[in-house]
Amino acid sequence: MIRTSLLSFLCCLVFCTAVLAQEARVTGTVTSAEDGSSLPGVSVQVKGTQRGTQTDATGGYSIEAAPNAVLIFSFVGFIPQEIAVGSSSTINVQLAGDIRSLSEVVVTGYGTQSKRNLTGNIAKVSGAEIANTPVTTFEQALQGRAAGVQVTSLNGKLGQGMQMRIRGSSSVTASNEPLYVLDGIPLTSRDQGTSTAPQNPLADINFNDIESIDILKDASAAAIYGARASNGVVLITTKKGKSGKTKFNVSYQMGSSKPTRLRQWLNTAQYVELFSEAVQNGIDAGYLPESYLTGSTYSRFTRYAAGDQAGWENGTIDTDWQAEAFQKAPMGQFDISASGGDDKTRFFVSAQALDQKGILIKNSFKRLSGRVNLDHKATDRLTLGVNVNLARTVNGRLSNDNAFSTPLQIIALPPITPVIDPRTNELSGNYTLYFNPLLNRDFSSNVSTSYRTIGNIFAEYRFANWLKFRSEVGTDIYNLNEDQYFGKETSRNTGAPNGLGFSSWAQVTNYTSNNFFTLGHTFADRHDVDATLGMTFQKSEASFNSVTGQEFPSNAYTKIISSANITAGSSSGSNFSFLSYFARANYRFENKYLLSVSGRVDGSSRFGANNRYGFFPAASVGWIITEESFMEGIPTLSLLKLRGSYGLTGNAEIGNFDSYGLYRGDAGYAGVPGQRPEQIENPDLRWEQTTQTDIGLEFGLFSGRLSGEVDYYIKNTRDLLLNVNVPGTSGFRTQLRNIGNLENKGWEFVLRSDNTTGAFKWNTSLNLSANRNKIVNLDGQVITGGFINRAVEGQPIGSFFSIEYAGVDPDNGDALYYRNDERPDGTFDRTTTNNPNEAQRVIIGNPNPKLIGGISNSFAYKGLEFNILFQGQTGNDIYNGGGKFQSANGDFFDNQTVDQLDRWQKPGDITNVPQARLFGANGTAESSRYLQRGDYLRLKNATLSYNLPSAITNRVKLDRVRVYVTGQNLLTFTKYTGWDPEVNADYLAGNIGLGNDFYSAPQAKTIIVGINLGF
Amino acid sequence: MAYLFKNILPYALTGSLLLLGGCASQLDVKPVNTIDAGAAVATSGDVAALLVGAYDALGDLDVYGGNIQRDADLLGDNGEIFFDGTFVAPDEIFRKSMLVNNGQAEVTWLDSYRAINIANNVLANLDVVTEGDRARVEGEAKFIRGTLYFELVRNYAKAWTDGTPSANPGVPLVLEPTVEITEQAKVSRNSVSEVYAQVIKDLTEAETKLPESNGFFATKYAAAGMLSRVYMMQQKYPEAANAATRVIDSKKYSLVNTAEVFDLRVNQNGFNTAEDIFAIQLTSQDGLNALNTFYGAPEYGGRGDILIEDAHLALYENGDRRAELFYVAENGNTYTSKWINQYGNIKILRLAEMYLTRAEANFRNDSSIGASPASDINLIRARAGLSAIPATSLTIGAIMKERHLELAFEGHLIHDIKRTKGTVGGLAFDSPKLVYPIPLRETDANANLTQNPGY
Repeated sequence: MIRTSLLSFLCCLVFCTAVLAQEARVTGTVTSAEDGSSLPGVSVQVKGTQRGTQTDATGGYSIEAAPNAVLIFSFVGFIPQEIAVGSSSTINVQLAGDIRSLSEVVVTGYGTQSKRNLTGNIAKVSGAEIANTPVTTFEQALQGRAAGVQVTSLNGKLGQGMQMRIRGSSSVTASNEPLYVLDGIPLTSRDQGTSTAPQNPLADINFNDIESIDILKDASAAAIYGARASNGVVLITTKKGKSGKTKFNVSYQMGSSKPTRLRQWLNTAQYVELFSEAVQNGIDAGYLPESYLTGSTYSRFTRYAAGDQAGWENGTIDTDWQAEAFQKAPMGQFDISASGGDDKTRFFVSAQALDQKGILIKNSFKRLSGRVNLDHKATDRLTLGVNVNLARTVNGRLSNDNAFSTPLQIIALPPITPVIDPRTNELSGNYTLYFNPLLNRDFSSNVSTSYRTIGNIFAEYRFANWLKFRSEVGTDIYNLNEDQYFGKETSRNTGAPNGLGFSSWAQVTNYTSNNFFTLGHTFADRHDVDATLGMTFQKSEASFNSVTGQEFPSNAYTKIISSANITAGSSSGSNFSFLSYFARANYRFENKYLLSVSGRVDGSSRFGANNRYGFFPAASVGWIITEESFMEGIPTLSLLKLRGSYGLTGNAEIGNFDSYGLYRGDAGYAGVPGQRPEQIENPDLRWEQTTQTDIGLEFGLFSGRLSGEVDYYIKNTRDLLLNVNVPGTSGFRTQLRNIGNLENKGWEFVLRSDNTTGAFKWNTSLNLSANRNKIVNLDGQVITGGFINRAVEGQPIGSFFSIEYAGVDPDNGDALYYRNDERPDGTFDRTTTNNPNEAQRVIIGNPNPKLIGGISNSFAYKGLEFNILFQGQTGNDIYNGGGKFQSANGDFFDNQTVDQLDRWQKPGDITNVPQARLFGANGTAESSRYLQRGDYLRLKNATLSYNLPSAITNRVKLDRVRVYVTGQNLLTFTKYTGWDPEVNADYLAGNIGLGNDFYSAPQAKTIIVGINLGF
Repeated sequence: MAYLFKNILPYALTGSLLLLGGCASQLDVKPVNTIDAGAAVATSGDVAALLVGAYDALGDLDVYGGNIQRDADLLGDNGEIFFDGTFVAPDEIFRKSMLVNNGQAEVTWLDSYRAINIANNVLANLDVVTEGDRARVEGEAKFIRGTLYFELVRNYAKAWTDGTPSANPGVPLVLEPTVEITEQAKVSRNSVSEVYAQVIKDLTEAETKLPESNGFFATKYAAAGMLSRVYMMQQKYPEAANAATRVIDSKKYSLVNTAEVFDLRVNQNGFNTAEDIFAIQLTSQDGLNALNTFYGAPEYGGRGDILIEDAHLALYENGDRRAELFYVAENGNTYTSKWINQYGNIKILRLAEMYLTRAEANFRNDSSIGASPASDINLIRARAGLSAIPATSLTIGAIMKERHLELAFEGHLIHDIKRTKGTVGGLAFDSPKLVYPIPLRETDANANLTQNPGY
């Protein structure tokens, strides 16, 4: 697609006049400057004419041209060259390849455009930048690579859902995730599983197949996706074949992962000391009986120590439970691809096998993926093609972060409990403080398998050089099977005494048809016009079923066919459709004044009968100042471009039937069928509307060696789709309404520099973005999420709202809180109280970073290359919801973080940890005690690679041999004391549930070695 | 070129247009799992299904599925049980230190009003009910509504015995179904006495309209039994004794052996015994037994959170068969057997309570409505294998102890303390700490609701 459009773009450039002159035949060969290989399919054009040809399979060409003519050689992935013919009859050309030449063309949705002429804001990440990153899904590989794009892994579990925010959160209740479109097909990207820990359907994509990822950020770029564009649009384009000799690429990489960080917990001596003290303090305070320490508590210790009193008294049992939660985590990945073709037919085929173990016990991820991309020129005018991807992903999953069975909750177990009960020589089970997650390791399985088919067929017909029509029919079929079995040993967790089996299937079938005309023409040599006009239809049909059974004869039987008691079963479905018409026109005057208008009419089944269709227009202008004659005297400035855009986009990502008044028939009772009112009708329900203004400046200095972009944007979202809390006395909890507005404002800054050129190449690429989110109006509503997150007027979404911890009373060790009563004059009562109920809740933090960014450096010398990417964010806070159990100064028998040893012990002690009091709730209320700064800077990726010299590779008949070593998440700089500052507890993650930690696993630090062979 | 324009372009364009034309109707996508509210209640059968929906909501785990009963025993405990669990909300209730955002106070409120709204929908659609069924349907809906307002007012407001009921705020009375959410949805609290009046009105009408037998659904005697509780909370002893007598004299129910009162099987679908007047029905496929969840040991499907302390076990006399309703679990803790079957029914009203209520009411009233206090108490004692107490030496203490042991862990404790003006854990019966907060979420959503003292 890139190539066709580039050709038509060139056609447009040269459309008008033919120059008549004395002509002669010019021949030559085009080769790659990189490796000297011949380049077939290179476009050779006589400048200013319609005359052109392509190089043949050996890179040769032949064309008639006058001596005063200029030849343009252009090819996707290479920098175009212009060469004056002069008197030569042979012109051999070497084209230099460069990742940046790719970025000269951006994918715009139903088309492509030259970056130079773009008036919107699109961030492009090439597939080469993220290829072979040792992560499971491409969003992770995008971290730190695009301005304005914040990617957060919820925790370190493989295959887990991700959060992506493009220019902030634009919605409170509807989705804040962007629309993902792969080769024109809107993808199923929302979790379809049954667990509250979301599973990521995008992990089915082998991102080594990706040619480029284009992220549409401003209204001008995104409005062509209308009602689904408010959160930005991520366009994924897969690789296409190149005509010429078939090139094979084989690669293998292997490595292993470790947690980025561990936390420090009490050992047995410390545990016994702290809890004995906590009990004694309870006795002294009079709320525990005198005998509680030597009686109840010591017998409890002995019980936890598997009956071994000496074990806890002398510390002969001292278990590091945290270490038990992790496992060895090797990974291996094999990729093979072939691409080639002739001038009529081109193909790209690939296959991938990935097998990765997670750092947490029982966590694994395997992907098998195959792709065929094929296009064929049936005639000069008609091109047909097909892109098909088949994938199977097998994900060994874990319980959500809130489950006793999730591996990291193991750290709550006291160190006085042995891993193996010496009385039985089996895993410590029923007598432990909580369920032992190791029982799930040994006696359960939880496997999600997805079968994915993403593909389309297309036909493109060129009516004339200025007009073509393209029709695509695509589908994304997602089948997800979850298969779980929990043996009788896990009954303490499942409640099923003799085994629990669960099996579910989800099938989401998503059809898309895109049909559009593309026009392009140049008038009078200086008016360039191109336009796109078309329609698209999408229908998604989902069906789900599941069955649960209990009572299995033994753990050898794990399928529900062996269950004696089928306890639950269900089937359900959900559908939606979109019907849309879109148009876009770009106008360029003398290559320096740019204008673009676009619009989309979107109809959706999701919206109320009164508001089924919406119109989303956008317009943008650009001025390439360096094209002005008055700029000619400034040679250091190679590009200066000012652009601005304004437009309207929508957000339709709500439930499929939210506008209806609904009854549900699931209210049966003891086998008698029943129904219940479920939802209050809202026929006026409509899209959220976001107007966005973007002003941008692009510049290039020193022939483009230093280039950059600065953008300022304001996104105003109104008619928020809001799940408004209604009085519960109505019998309902919430109603979805269009109420309120919010805004995101921000700066984006992108800089690219070729610091050195020549034999030693050093490039730097930097992106920084600062987004400020503010909820302007929620009609007085307060919408809560997470532990203490809320959406409230005047504050950023998800602000932490709770009482404010004031430290410890030095006199008595009580936890203190600021009262924070607001006085009539607007000031706050800063006196303290030891009763959390007497303290007023205030905003204590913000989960949204003030600044996000990434900086990558690439060093190349001969075949040696070193790439290093730092990524980070600052200005955000993290709330550790597990703090009230983990760092609770001995409030309950959970093992504690070592910092709890700093507890208050005697009058005069100055500390931040209150007196240890068993059951005393001394400081355990949700409060700013468990809030911390979440700033971090991370060495996200470092890759050292070596391309063997062709002198050696040729000897073994290979075009290319590259060996590399890559590290992911190698270093993390943060003051956050939890496991990892990149966190958002999976079961709470949402629009408002942001920045929460709850026994959430750290990210993986991964080191791999790999080899690529090209032949 | 001309060929193409003549032959291909028209097809391409027509094709696209056809596609467009065919698509517009594709936007009418109907819900798959649910139906349009406007069409949901059209026939007598639809109302019947809605009524079943009201029972389903009544049996929700945060309502009569067990959490209301659990919390009455946690809040009223004086050291006979120990809450060993991690759930914050019941832990706060057990420690009598509820915070204003207590999660249980929130969901019990929300789910109770959800059930009330369904009952209100039934009552608003009585006109489509077949005439022969109409009185019964009305009676059942009013039983559910009256019962829930009773639970709400005695948990979220000051006790009837605390101050002036007509001056104390109760809970909002919503008696019409919600069809839209307007400003009027921001209701205020009615007084305690207004709520009690509505409860008595609903339950009295229910008693009148309900049949004597109605499968496992509410009957005339379920309504009378619930009324006896309401009157006891108001210290209206003759009314309470009369209501209990109506149940006892119906001869529909009989005391069963101690070992059969509760379902001591495990993992089997529940059933009602001859003693049960009203119980929430459970099967392995429908409903959750929250009492099993918290009182049951892990090997019986529970969390094993509520341990029975020696202080309770020591209360039983030698030979009391009820002392056998405990077991030591694999983890070494002692639990009650009453809720050992995770699919067992949850008993709301059983005949033994009627005898205990009548005995206490008559004793306090110095009357013998239906029977003498001693004969009622000794029925219960005899069933437990204990000797009779002579009428002359019967004390209120003995009656209350009998009630305490017979109805332990069934959700009576805090309410018995409040109506008899007792104490718990050093707190007087009228301590604000023994009243739930109006859920914070609710006062946030509805500024017309006043908060209880102490929050």
